[in-house]
Amino acid sequence: MREGIQLFLWWVECFFILYMVGYASFLFLSVTVGSSDLYAARRRNLLKNELGNDYYVPVSVIVPAHNEEVTIEATVRSLLALDYRLYEIIVVDDGSTDGTSRVLQEAFGMWRIDRPIQRRIDCRPEEAVYETRAWKVPITLVRKQNGGKADALNMGINVAGYPYFLCIDADSVLQHDSLEKIVRPVLEDPTVVAVGGAVRPCNGAEIENGRVVRYRMPRSLLASMQVLEYDRSFLASRLLFDRFNGNIIISGALGLFRKDVVVSAGGYDSATMGEDMELAVKLHVFCRESGRPYRIRYVTDAICWTQVPERLRDLCRQRRRWHIGLFQSMTKYRNILANPKYGAVSFVSYFYFLLYELFSPYIEIFGLVTTLLAFLVELINVPFMVLFFGIYVVYSAVLSMTAFLARVHTVDMKLYPTDLLKALGLCVVEVSCLRFVLAWVRMTALIGYRKKKHSWGTITRQKIEYK
Amino acid sequence: MGAETLLYGYGLVCLSMLAYNLVYSVYLRAGDRRLRRRMEKLQRRIEAQLRAAQPDPAGTPRPVQVSHLTWMNRCLSRVSYLLAFDHLLECRAGDAAFREYLRQLQPVFLYLATVYRRREDTQAAYFCHFLARHQLQRHMQMDEIQRALLGFLGRPSLYCRVNALKALCAFGSPETVAEALLELQRRPDTLLHEKVITECLLAYTGDSQALIARLWERFDRFTVQLQRAVLDYIRFRSGGSGAEMEAILRDPGRDKELRFAAIRYFGRYPDPAIRGLLLDFVRDDDPLHWEYAAIAATALAAYGGEDVEDALLQALRSPNWYVRYNASASLEAHGLQYEDMLAVLHGDDRYAREMLTYRIQSRALEARAAAGRTEREEAAAGV
Repeated sequence: MREGIQLFLWWVECFFILYMVGYASFLFLSVTVGSSDLYAARRRNLLKNELGNDYYVPVSVIVPAHNEEVTIEATVRSLLALDYRLYEIIVVDDGSTDGTSRVLQEAFGMWRIDRPIQRRIDCRPEEAVYETRAWKVPITLVRKQNGGKADALNMGINVAGYPYFLCIDADSVLQHDSLEKIVRPVLEDPTVVAVGGAVRPCNGAEIENGRVVRYRMPRSLLASMQVLEYDRSFLASRLLFDRFNGNIIISGALGLFRKDVVVSAGGYDSATMGEDMELAVKLHVFCRESGRPYRIRYVTDAICWTQVPERLRDLCRQRRRWHIGLFQSMTKYRNILANPKYGAVSFVSYFYFLLYELFSPYIEIFGLVTTLLAFLVELINVPFMVLFFGIYVVYSAVLSMTAFLARVHTVDMKLYPTDLLKALGLCVVEVSCLRFVLAWVRMTALIGYRKKKHSWGTITRQKIEYK
Repeated sequence: MGAETLLYGYGLVCLSMLAYNLVYSVYLRAGDRRLRRRMEKLQRRIEAQLRAAQPDPAGTPRPVQVSHLTWMNRCLSRVSYLLAFDHLLECRAGDAAFREYLRQLQPVFLYLATVYRRREDTQAAYFCHFLARHQLQRHMQMDEIQRALLGFLGRPSLYCRVNALKALCAFGSPETVAEALLELQRRPDTLLHEKVITECLLAYTGDSQALIARLWERFDRFTVQLQRAVLDYIRFRSGGSGAEMEAILRDPGRDKELRFAAIRYFGRYPDPAIRGLLLDFVRDDDPLHWEYAAIAATALAAYGGEDVEDALLQALRSPNWYVRYNASASLEAHGLQYEDMLAVLHGDDRYAREMLTYRIQSRALEARAAAGRTEREEAAAGV
């Protein structure tokens, strides 16, 4: 019996060493590539290697909203403050039960109008359309029957009048130059079909006319830990994937798409929860299957400030939804796995998401259970275990701090000493505690997920400090 | 190798990375100070030259010393000093003595063109930006720099090509700008978006009529993408190309995007000779030709007459959404009254009715917005 356990633990040890070496190498590579890309971008900007701001690609900005009466006005005001000329704003109220539509009508003086909508993508019917032309750009509000976020986005695409559309979350605020920055890849390369932007937590930021005038780490420790997590994810891995056209996620909080390609691909799938990832993967599949040259890009300087949950319960709900979305997209497009037709998208991106995102909570919890088993049968080398865990924590924390500092230094953001100390302390807590809590949440996410197919998820919103 | 060694190795690499990050950020923070120091150094040298080059009693300016030109050659060959010089030029923009000094720096810029042509793309692009920004050649009349810039257009970097094109549009001759477009299409692997090309051409500061003439001369040598950009430029710039546009419009062998561009041109510059052709496009109910019908429906907003209004009213019944939408917008531009459209509004074609109702409501919305704006302006002015 003991020998059997010993053999089992030996295999587990081998597996975990390989798994951790793979993960550590990936993180190291992605953070190195991400940091060097950021510094190179800074040098390019200094030496005016950039397209000026006089080129305007017409863009429809789509804001799907459900019960967002607290944040929707600030979001639309931030959109009106964008340094861009040729765009329209479309808010799709997906059957809100609060005053989302009323807030918009009153704040922007919108009038009901009988607007015919060309239905190129299937979606739930509209109940009313409101418009106003009294602002810098036209604003349209479509109130429709509840059908979920993907369905609301499909309605937005149907209403959109321009060849490119940008979707943002209703609880987010765009930085004043985001639109100008996110369309640049389209001007640089006509084959670009989608562009993702960087998402940053706005808890703790003071935003004036789309400009961040003061940025501090959020007061809430949970939100601060998410700042570090977002930096690591957006500034590192996505830049690495961008090198080989391998990004299979474009965050729903900020993404630009070529409308005709999205319509041809069938639009958003309203049956999935992670509609943003599903669309990005779908575009890879559609373009490759139809032999169309394409690029899906990621830009770090197009920034969207979003509210991250400050309560653990909300964070768990959000991550549960994300994990279900990941599961749905990965299983729907499982034919990508080990398929040479998809090149690096298959062998690097898909494989990474499968192993280190979808399966990781199970693997991590399995690791903890095995450690407990080894401890019980007194087969554990305690000093080694402590060392292993210590190195893991230091390693992850250093990478988080590298991404955090690279981001702060390359965007000329003032870093307060107290924020630096806070980041230093919390990066350790994030990797050693929060990560395992979220691993548990993600592991249990799939239990009974089908019942919540169209749900928007409910997170307590706070008014965005937008002036 | 033990697992510990591997783990320590990773830890060490990461700590080095963090250290590199911190050192680099300190270096970046000191960047402004370094730039100021370089500007001061350049300023000192230049001021000395300006003092020495005071005009003689006859009023003739004295030449800049050869040793100074050699020093400037060496100095500005470093991109950090070129950056500092860029800032200095901005500060001294209105200074007449400085302008005369710059005029004498001709050989330096020519030398720099050969130096930066051999440099990596980022620096080459910056040199082009520098030339475009200060339009140095406009004051110097040097054809050599224009020729050198044509060489920059063949670089793989998009920014280098765009900056070189911008520089040529800032001070190049029509001949060179037209040649530059041909140079651009020699690298089909790195195409520029037609919007970028059109905008660069629109920034051309020389004789636009001469440029348009040169572009027409080379038109058939351009790729379709470049042709589209050129047609858009011509449409935005001038209405004197009716004959060439008509030839494109009447040629069914031309790429459809070019013919669309020609229709848009005639929407901006109405020509009675084209009216019949536009009406034919709108009346064409072949579903495969819907794009021609939709664009012609928009162009007809600029053409009056009962037959045009009849055709547009008919187009309101098109099965295509875009044709209906554009026709309704053109009818609105014609200022058609509610009574004129009554037949459609009470007709049995639901799509036509919906579209027209929407346009009427849109017009009311625009009027309301305009009234609101006037009210706000009056309130602000204290009326």
